[in-house]
Amino acid sequence: MRRILTCGCTVAILLAGAQAAAHHGPGLYDRTKSVSVTGRVTQFRFMNPHVLIYVAAAGEDGREIVWSGELTSPNRLARSATPVDWHKDLLKPGDVVTLSGNPAQNGAPALLLNRVLDGEGNVLTATGR
Amino acid sequence: MPAATLGAIAARLKAAAAVAVLAGAGLAAGPAASQPAASPPGAGHGADLGGVWTNDPPAETLAYQNDTVSAEPPAFTDWGRARYEAAKPSRGPRGVAVAETDDPVYQCFPPGTPRVYLHPFPMEIVQTPGRVLMIFEYDHLIRQIYTDGRGHRTDLAPMWMGDSIGRWEGETLVVETVNFNDKTWLDRTGVAHSEALRVVERIRLVAEDRLEIDITMEDPVALAEPWRGQRYLRKTDWDIEEFSCMDNVNFLEYEQDILEFED
Repeated sequence: MRRILTCGCTVAILLAGAQAAAHHGPGLYDRTKSVSVTGRVTQFRFMNPHVLIYVAAAGEDGREIVWSGELTSPNRLARSATPVDWHKDLLKPGDVVTLSGNPAQNGAPALLLNRVLDGEGNVLTATGR
Repeated sequence: MPAATLGAIAARLKAAAAVAVLAGAGLAAGPAASQPAASPPGAGHGADLGGVWTNDPPAETLAYQNDTVSAEPPAFTDWGRARYEAAKPSRGPRGVAVAETDDPVYQCFPPGTPRVYLHPFPMEIVQTPGRVLMIFEYDHLIRQIYTDGRGHRTDLAPMWMGDSIGRWEGETLVVETVNFNDKTWLDRTGVAHSEALRVVERIRLVAEDRLEIDITMEDPVALAEPWRGQRYLRKTDWDIEEFSCMDNVNFLEYEQDILEFED
């Protein structure tokens, strides 16, 4: 899937400490940065090997950008001590969420997630991998 | 396929099944009659290791426990070091993106023993008379550990997970695994091994709900000295679910999409 990509997005870039060990090695994501993006869910894939959340958010120039964020595997996420029970129908298209995590090294709108909030700011998970 | 051919295959299968039944009957009578089981569970030996177990590493091992079994790499032979340095693992200090790794697991080969413990999914131990089964959520792999006194098979070609024989030393299950092929890694950081690999695991309860697996790997071709590490697992009330290695392969498409991004 090709995503519409621009720079200058309305996201918060913060310094972050080292995150939990990732499945995919250090190559893909920049562990020194953290990005938060708020938008509406376009897809929620509760599938192995990683749960994926796609969120459409407005960039600075008003163009919509679809961000993706990956969590751990669905079985691990469902077993984690998260504030809500994760299951395949937890999120649906149109839901407002805030994704926070390490951004892709090359600027792609993709995050290695370490926190997901719902539209009211409630924590859905603070567990990434 | 012509019906005649199908019929011929069916006849051969039927004949093979009959032979298998006879052989099974022979096996059932043979060892029991001639060689008493060395350590039958429930006969005053062993412990109840049954249950669904998940990794529960000590804090001081968190930095590496998903990748390997000790803080430092093993002592290599020249053979072992050359292969380690050539490997492109997806994890550990030399980790590359999965799209670039040559880790055999990302071609969906079985991870081998003891590497299977490093995948972060639970494992169920089922004890039956004469056999301990480990059912791994990761790719639904099953290890069969015979505890009925038999020796290792000598008629099989080298295997991905090896050939495991167990015996009880008091309440510790001691498992020796041999007859590996040389196509797996010992961990997820690229430690290769040869067909000479021998793995000894000492598995015991250190608390009612806590399992210790003490692992020693010997391989005179790859390792200059035995490599040892421990895994700790806690008992859960989970069910074993599904994690197919093909899901990792399918995920490469997602990673490739990110890698090919151009602003």
